[in-house]
Amino acid sequence: MTAAAVIAHPEGLAARRALRAARIRGVVFAALGLISFYFAASALETAALFSFWIDKQGGQSAQLQTSVGALWIVAGVASGVVGILQLVRGAAFPWRRWLFIVFPPYIAVTIAALLNGTAANLTGVISGSLVLAAPITLGALAGILSERSGMLNIALEGKMLAGACVASIVASVVLNTFNVSPSDPGYGTAALVGAMAGIAAAMLTGALMGLLLAWLGIRHKVDQIIAGTVINIGAVGITNFLFLRVLGRNTELNTPPTIEPLRLPLLADIPVLGPIFFSTKPYVYVAIIFVIILTYLLFRTRWGLRLRASGEKPAAAGTVGINVLAIRYRALLLAGLLAGLAGSYLSLSAAGSFQMGMSAGKGFIALAAMIFGAWHPIGALGAALVFGFADQAQSLLSILGVQVPPQLLNSVPYIVTIIVVAGVVGRVRGPASAGMPYEQG
Amino acid sequence: MRLELRDISKQFPGVLANDRISISADKGQVLGLLGENGAGKTTLMNILSGLYRPDSGEILIDGETRVFHDPAEAIRAGVGMVHQHFMLVPVFDVVEAVALGAETVSGPLGTFNRAAARARIVELSAQYGLNVDPDDKIESLPVGVRQRVEILKALYRHSDILVLDEPSAVLTPLETEELFGIIRSLTAGGTTVIFITHKLNEVLEVADKIVVLRRGRVAGTAVPAETTRQALANMMVGRDVELIVPKGPANPGEVVLRLKGLQVRDDRLEMAVDGVDLEVRAGEIVAIAGVQGNGQTELVEAIVGLRAIDSGEMSIGDTRIEHASPRQISDLGVAHIPEDRGRDGLINAMTVAENYILDSYHRPPYSRRGVFDLAAVAARATQGVKDFDIRTPSIETVAASLSGGNQQKVVVAREFSRPVRLVVAAQPTRGLDVGSIEYIHRRIVEQRDQGAAILIISTELDEVLAVGDRIAVMYEGRIVGILAGESATLEAVGLLMGGAEFGGAAA
Repeated sequence: MTAAAVIAHPEGLAARRALRAARIRGVVFAALGLISFYFAASALETAALFSFWIDKQGGQSAQLQTSVGALWIVAGVASGVVGILQLVRGAAFPWRRWLFIVFPPYIAVTIAALLNGTAANLTGVISGSLVLAAPITLGALAGILSERSGMLNIALEGKMLAGACVASIVASVVLNTFNVSPSDPGYGTAALVGAMAGIAAAMLTGALMGLLLAWLGIRHKVDQIIAGTVINIGAVGITNFLFLRVLGRNTELNTPPTIEPLRLPLLADIPVLGPIFFSTKPYVYVAIIFVIILTYLLFRTRWGLRLRASGEKPAAAGTVGINVLAIRYRALLLAGLLAGLAGSYLSLSAAGSFQMGMSAGKGFIALAAMIFGAWHPIGALGAALVFGFADQAQSLLSILGVQVPPQLLNSVPYIVTIIVVAGVVGRVRGPASAGMPYEQG
Repeated sequence: MRLELRDISKQFPGVLANDRISISADKGQVLGLLGENGAGKTTLMNILSGLYRPDSGEILIDGETRVFHDPAEAIRAGVGMVHQHFMLVPVFDVVEAVALGAETVSGPLGTFNRAAARARIVELSAQYGLNVDPDDKIESLPVGVRQRVEILKALYRHSDILVLDEPSAVLTPLETEELFGIIRSLTAGGTTVIFITHKLNEVLEVADKIVVLRRGRVAGTAVPAETTRQALANMMVGRDVELIVPKGPANPGEVVLRLKGLQVRDDRLEMAVDGVDLEVRAGEIVAIAGVQGNGQTELVEAIVGLRAIDSGEMSIGDTRIEHASPRQISDLGVAHIPEDRGRDGLINAMTVAENYILDSYHRPPYSRRGVFDLAAVAARATQGVKDFDIRTPSIETVAASLSGGNQQKVVVAREFSRPVRLVVAAQPTRGLDVGSIEYIHRRIVEQRDQGAAILIISTELDEVLAVGDRIAVMYEGRIVGILAGESATLEAVGLLMGGAEFGGAAA
């Protein structure tokens, strides 16, 4: 007679399948590494010349001289190491993060191979990626805030568009009241005040739209995707009307001060890195600061714990006395502020005025960055950099001297979005209760 | 702390859920609150935990009147609630899940002091013997452990009054025993426990006193030493009930349902049924016991054609049914009483009559060339309502407005109105009152005696033991043991349900 032994919980099928996927991934990474070494052998002689501006754009430049083969070796080593780590660590290996180690060398080697021995200055491309990533990061942070609280935020696009419009009008009006011309000594201050007023107004607009979404989705339990779509369509309609009927005839309402790059003292003087990271547009600094702040708030504070509980299992929060609906209202309010800020970038910093439909899908790309970044601020920043780089395709290809129709180039960020969301993301799990109304007793 | 609820009444549209209910429990006592579904137990406890406000009556804690406007106030007053459906965030770890809503914070940003919370949880689990690793993720924990986390959550908030709502519903018998041990150590420490259940054995085992609720009122009180299962059941239902299902010995004939090496995946594509071999013969009832989520749902769905199988053989009589459609299978004489009648058994928005012909609407006499013969439909439904004693205002009443028992009768009446060779009944009495349970059981035994093969799937051990001629126990997708009905004991089946090796438990 055998003792009635209890079977230990055997490894689940899901775990076994995850392990198999991990092994395949490991082999793919390792194989990529080996192939890279193969390419390296034939390209050791080909020079790879990159240059960077040392002190400022268009100033002195520093040359980085290496060979295409060496870059292949770097890429191969990175890929091989990640492959081995993946094989050793199994399913628990956070491979998505390591993609950010593997991708850059391959991008570098691709560029070098296309250059085929001629030199290219990459400062513009890299700092440009960073600048374009800023509004996407801010938008993605807005998406993270609301979805982590349980509210879908399809309306990001509309909030950014409306923010861009309002920012331009308010900034123009405030600047005009100073009645100074660009040559006057007081112009700088006036421009700064105008820009700040525009940004504040854009944030307020985003917040109000966030409250509208919250009111529809929480109070009236309107399907959150439909409510968001309605807001997006409304934003397009109203801004188009304003542009055609008001701004077109009164151009003085659409000539805002522009927000120029800001050189950070001392840091901007660091050779090579200074021109890329520390003399760029203020939106980049703001986005990075918000990434850090939000990461801390979400994962280290009581506020973050409650916000995440509201998005994952609101009933668990409600039964311990947490006001889930208030958390969701506040989250959408804050998300609106961020989305409005992101929108102000479009008119005040990127274009210099408001244009019809100028958000051009940036809100949706921000949502894609949120998903690609697995609803984590740092992940979203990384994802936004990928999209920002894709947006630089035009300037990159013109450096490389490749002739491509501009219409095709303009579609690169969107194609990258589709590839990333459909292919690379795979099964990332978002907040379990996002989009579901919560009935508070 | 001493808890007293005095003359609590609560009216919902159309129902007086609580009608002047008074109960009390002393410090360190276990009060068993017994009643059928709809007796008002959960409403009463939702009032106690601040989710609802009573229309009249008062809550007294240590003789002092308290009014709770929201759950937070009830928690502050020392009332902790363990809900039947756990209120834990799956992606949190134990520390986060327990501390949520009662976090200690520091600094201007409200930084969560995780170390302090963790230390307190470790201390509490040691004090009350609640074995939990504070760093485990909730979603990785088995339900028995999740329940311990729920209890820790209440203790973490200094609850002196702990309400457990149907705590054993998701537990194996072994885990239930562990829970009772925990309850005893809590009451020894001075905690007052209110134990809500519809299971007679459990209140008799764990309660110091028992209050029976029926239709929103207190139907009686009892002390375990001085009462019996029968007496409690009668009190619960309001009349004499039969706790055992009257049935003669089985008379098994030829094999009707044969499963061989059956493998079926669940919605997440995991192997839920992993190599099941089973035969059910005409004239016998095979009851499948098991804790919820061990593949029973997928097994039933595969048999009735609602879920594609991965591999293996299935046949009814001589007909192979691996690739048969639900209609082909039902035409072979299979009656299906689904687990979730609201989802798979009935169309809630349709009338009784319409629900009645869901299986045969497409053929004469109910429809010809795609047009209904409403008179024939009405005639059949009227007959069914009469035969099965379905309490409905009319056959034109929508199914959603019937009571659970009557809804189930509609399903059973429809399924048994065809010539039946095999009955597949999943949780046929879940959520029903004792009267309806008796009725459904009687009808199923009747089908057996007329020569049908019966497969019943149930998570209620009492039901399995009462109706099964043979009892098969399912654990992690496999049949881990088959016992003869008359020799099966609660203990043996219970061990198998928890995954004990076959042979060890059956011997």
